[in-house]
Amino acid sequence: METVIEIRGLTKTYGTVKALDGLTLSIPRGGVYGILGPNGAGKSTLFRTLLGLIRPTGGEATVMGGRIGDPAATRRMGSMIETPRFPPFMTARQVLVWLGYAHGGVPIAEIEAWLKRVGLTEAADRRVRGFSVGMLQRLGVAAALMTKPDLVILDEPTSGMDPPGIQEMRALIRSLADDDGVTIILASHQLQEVQRVCDRVAIFNKGKVITEGRVSDLTASGERLRLSVTPLARAMGVLGDRATLDGDALIAAVPRAEAAATIRALVEAGVEIEEARWIGADLEDVFMSETGWTGVQGTPVKGADHAG
Amino acid sequence: MLVDALKSEAYRVSRNRTAVFFSVLLTPLLFIIGGVAFHIITKTKGDALAAKASLPAALGNQPVNLAEALEFAAGNGANGVLLVFMLLAAASVYAGDYRWETWRLISARNGRPWLLLGKIGVMKALAMIAMLAMLIAAFIFFISQAVVAGRPMSFDLSDFDLGQFLLTGLLSYIRIVQYGLIALLAAVVSRSLLAALFVPWALGFAQSILGGPLTPVIGWAPTDWASQLLLPGLAYDTLKAAVSPGPMPLPEGAVMKAIVSLTLWCVVPVAASIAWFQRQDLSKE
Repeated sequence: METVIEIRGLTKTYGTVKALDGLTLSIPRGGVYGILGPNGAGKSTLFRTLLGLIRPTGGEATVMGGRIGDPAATRRMGSMIETPRFPPFMTARQVLVWLGYAHGGVPIAEIEAWLKRVGLTEAADRRVRGFSVGMLQRLGVAAALMTKPDLVILDEPTSGMDPPGIQEMRALIRSLADDDGVTIILASHQLQEVQRVCDRVAIFNKGKVITEGRVSDLTASGERLRLSVTPLARAMGVLGDRATLDGDALIAAVPRAEAAATIRALVEAGVEIEEARWIGADLEDVFMSETGWTGVQGTPVKGADHAG
Repeated sequence: MLVDALKSEAYRVSRNRTAVFFSVLLTPLLFIIGGVAFHIITKTKGDALAAKASLPAALGNQPVNLAEALEFAAGNGANGVLLVFMLLAAASVYAGDYRWETWRLISARNGRPWLLLGKIGVMKALAMIAMLAMLIAAFIFFISQAVVAGRPMSFDLSDFDLGQFLLTGLLSYIRIVQYGLIALLAAVVSRSLLAALFVPWALGFAQSILGGPLTPVIGWAPTDWASQLLLPGLAYDTLKAAVSPGPMPLPEGAVMKAIVSLTLWCVVPVAASIAWFQRQDLSKE
């Protein structure tokens, strides 16, 4: 598997805080790669390190075959880290011309095309000081992509966008990966978005990768059996701690290979099965399970210790 | 890479009309307005005195030599007012990316040293434009003198020394650039627009006090190594005196000390800024 990023034991400490804790990760060329994790997991620190904005404390990494911060490699990357900021006295068009010059020049026709593609044609001559967060995000995406990079890093690319904008951004990211062959790495807290757009994900916690793989594999491994049965108590007795109540049904954490045997055991125990169907885990389930966070009050519920 | 950085910074500065106006154009405009007002007041007072004493006009029809504007502009190119207002441009150019949080956008597109050198190049161009604007203002000052006083104009280059003009202009230019480089170092180290503005100003103010009344008090002669190295303003004055010799000859070695001083005051801030910037965390701005 050809990779665009190879990270081995990367560490970044701020005082006594380890933002990256011996992180090891390989990101393949092509497709959309998602980086997930709770706040403070190290996602932004990793992005900033890969872009050469900060120096790692230890470990090593290569980006596009070059060392971190190698200008030749960095110039082949596009990035948008958090909500981008621009000189307030410039218009959207001027921002792209300015950044284009720094990169060796981007033809004005391509700048116009990017303004159109991110929906900023009508606002192209407005000063950015009056832009909404969503408009700044769109301009940031155009700035990241207009130099035709081979690798794009997007940190929360849909933050502050309205639903149509989010849909457009999702389509843009997929088309860049599928049609233009650009490798895209994105971090987002919107897990449904990540599930829809990413091919692979890595879940971070406390500066380390705790799970990595294809989205389809990760969600498949969390498949569960939903059973409408009577009596519930007898079924619970058969399934033990593999079952949890979901209203008047049971959710059983049973691998597909054991499903037939489980149903047979229920029937033999006198349980009447009205309905049995597979329900897939979504990325949110995987995320919550792997990071051990409820996502509601930020309270660790399980498995939090194995992350650190 | 450097060319790209220069183009990029020049484009951005050209869009920042407020900074360009205050730094490059305001001082010449104030000079023109003040000059015209001065000529009108002088003419009015002079006419009133002449009428009262029944005297002929003081300068009669003696022509105003516009060539003097060249020497005036070269000698006063690095005047205090222009230096202070040029700091506005220096702060905007050198600290703008910290103020607007745009280093993370721009630093991925070019090498860090090239980006800083591009900014220095643009500041040098702004200094040149400011001096040209002062030259135009000086011409307008002399023309307004002739117009207000009703005197003829001439352009007599018989006493004009081209070498002296160029060297004096070069010294003024170096002084402006050197002053701005303090703003560069202050901007990179502090990441602050205000520091880029006020550190050179405060340093210049302190140096002017030391270079004036205090130097004799603490026992330094103006052409000592200590005075020349610590006070670039004195080094600048020494070189100006060498270019336009006065009645008092300069002590032996004074010119060399002044050249060393100005060179160090230009090179050290650039080298220190680049070294600091290379290791700087640009994710927090």
